[in-house]
Amino acid sequence: MKFLPYLLKNVARHKLRNLFTMLSIGVSLFLVTLLYAYLDFQEELGKQSADYRRLVVTHVEGLTALMPLAVVDRIRALPGVKAAMPLSWFGGLYQDDKLPFAQFATDPMQCMDVWTEYRLPPEQLLAWQQDRTGCVVGNVIAEKRGWKLGDRIVLKGTIYDCNLELTVRGIYTGPDSGDPEMLWFHYSYFDELLKARRARAAGRIGTVFVKVADEANLADVARRIDERFASSDTPLRAMTEQAFVQSFTEMVGNVQAFIQNTALAVVFALVCVAANAMAMSLRERVREVAVLKAIGFQRRTILGLVLGEAMLIALAGGIIGVGSVKLLTTFVDPSVAGIPGLTRFYVPWNSAFTGLLLAVGVGLASGVIPAVRAANLSVVDGLRRVV
Amino acid sequence: MHSLPAQPVVQLRHVSKEYYRDKLRIPVLADTSLDIPAGEFVAVMGPSGSGKSTLLNLCAGLDRPTTGTIVVAGQDLGELSESQLTRWRSEHLGFIFQLYNLMPVLTAFENVELPLLLTNLSRRERARHVETALRIVGLEDRMHHYPRQLSGGQEQRVAIARAIVTDPVLLLADEPTGNLDAVAAVEVLDLLAQLNAEFGKTIVMVTHDPRAARRAHRILHLEKGRFEEADIEAIERGRSSGGDGERRRSPRAPSAEIAG
Ligand SMILES: Nc1ncnc2c1ncn2[C@@H]1O[C@H](COP(=O)(O)OP(=O)(O)OP(=O)(O)O)[C@@H](O)[C@H]1O
Ligand SMILES: [Mg+2]
Repeated sequence: MKFLPYLLKNVARHKLRNLFTMLSIGVSLFLVTLLYAYLDFQEELGKQSADYRRLVVTHVEGLTALMPLAVVDRIRALPGVKAAMPLSWFGGLYQDDKLPFAQFATDPMQCMDVWTEYRLPPEQLLAWQQDRTGCVVGNVIAEKRGWKLGDRIVLKGTIYDCNLELTVRGIYTGPDSGDPEMLWFHYSYFDELLKARRARAAGRIGTVFVKVADEANLADVARRIDERFASSDTPLRAMTEQAFVQSFTEMVGNVQAFIQNTALAVVFALVCVAANAMAMSLRERVREVAVLKAIGFQRRTILGLVLGEAMLIALAGGIIGVGSVKLLTTFVDPSVAGIPGLTRFYVPWNSAFTGLLLAVGVGLASGVIPAVRAANLSVVDGLRRVV
Repeated sequence: MHSLPAQPVVQLRHVSKEYYRDKLRIPVLADTSLDIPAGEFVAVMGPSGSGKSTLLNLCAGLDRPTTGTIVVAGQDLGELSESQLTRWRSEHLGFIFQLYNLMPVLTAFENVELPLLLTNLSRRERARHVETALRIVGLEDRMHHYPRQLSGGQEQRVAIARAIVTDPVLLLADEPTGNLDAVAAVEVLDLLAQLNAEFGKTIVMVTHDPRAARRAHRILHLEKGRFEEADIEAIERGRSSGGDGERRRSPRAPSAEIAG
């Protein structure tokens, strides 16, 4: 576009003012993109898990209501179910940790059949299966904490009144979308400790993860599970892993609507800031606009020039903001944020794109009023004005 | 007088123009008719507020007359819509302002290129036209300078290059020497005379400076909304005897001060 050099020079002429506009857009879009990315990230995790053909079964009353261990075998017996394992969050503290990392009680005989995307060398799997107090850890957390095969890990219970004394028997690896910072141990060992303390949670589990057979339909199997337990003492609810993951986001007090409203408010404020700066710049240029029109620039050309300028400024701000979110989340470990359960995080491309789109939107909206004014300026009046 | 071709470039027929400020009617031009033949160099003089700028704006289609018709280069301006007028202006007119009105962020080259951005010319063709225009005004070596790096006279010459780069038939100049010292004013006037004589441009120049006006073929005197052919000798005589009221009423004419 042949007007681009002129546009760029006009942006550069009000350096300080436009820099401030860009920075305010940058900082705000940094935050908005981060929030959006959090939502998108959860959704993306959910989508990826759809490929793994898994169902998550909980008590109809939700995660906090526990189910008897016996349901696992009953679920496994249903047609269309390939494998099923219990999965219970332990939430213990390791050494001086302030927050628990992800630790799950599960069934080592079924685990690798359900979590098929993770890899564990067969001899390590065998060693884990044979050691009741054995555990398996993700390669990333193993590296962070310096754990090697045979190391002892003691986890201090926070939810349950017992401590686990575990030995590392295996180190798993997983795909990029997987969580490389979990620890898995025998449910039977955990249950033994609970029984010894006559704990109410003894013999009970939080969730069952189900692998659905290739030929079966996910929804059919889920319905079969729901129906099988509907009239029992413990009515269950089966949902896809995707729905399960997303229910976490919704659990945090309808974050989605909150984030969207916040973003809307921020964007509105940005439009005001940018529009004000743009209007100021153009007021100083009334004569120049009049001259352009006298030379033969059409209204639509002037309109386009002003909108283009506003969009360039906003887009520059957007690139600053979105770019730094992307860089930050690529190179900084999310666990420093101290959000429990947030062990990995990246900005999905569609959130980055949304951020840039918002920037362009801000530019357009902020440019409209000054652009229309400039386009409608009377040449005669504009030339008379002595600036 | 000069021998002139028949078809007038500017033709005003019973043109009147009035402005309204609040309820107050301000008559500026009253039933004015005027022919400016092709190739003529006309100076328009008259006291401040007599409607000289208004006349140029009307000829440029920047403003519309209250009554009457204006035909410029064979086109009745009253028949054109706002956007058609804008387009027509970019093709047929060159405008020169008292305050040069160059874009401060653009170089001399880019300023002169501006009107060409509205055409379909290629980048290379645009550059060729710009260089020609700058050569005519004698500033080809200042192509990449910004307005603030140029003197007033040079700025005005860049503005003239911008006005002629599209090769218009008519040049309208509103006090082109009004902000210049005597030497720079002479340079600009020489240039206008050259554009008229060598390139056949029809020029209408508003000025307060009788010495500038003398460079024209014809001087029109605008007073109380009407034209009179002015006798430059009479103006000069009036001036030297100290009886010229015009100068006191025209604060924006430093070159007239220097000339006097
Ligand atoms: N847009 C407008 N609204 C109201 N009055 C106007 C407008 N434009 C011009 N006028 C009035 O019309 C008259 C002529 O103005 P014009 O600018 O044409 O004068 P001029 O001869 O160019 O004066 P100067 O020598 O000072 O430049 C003045 O009285 C001016 O106040
Ligand atoms: Mg004037």
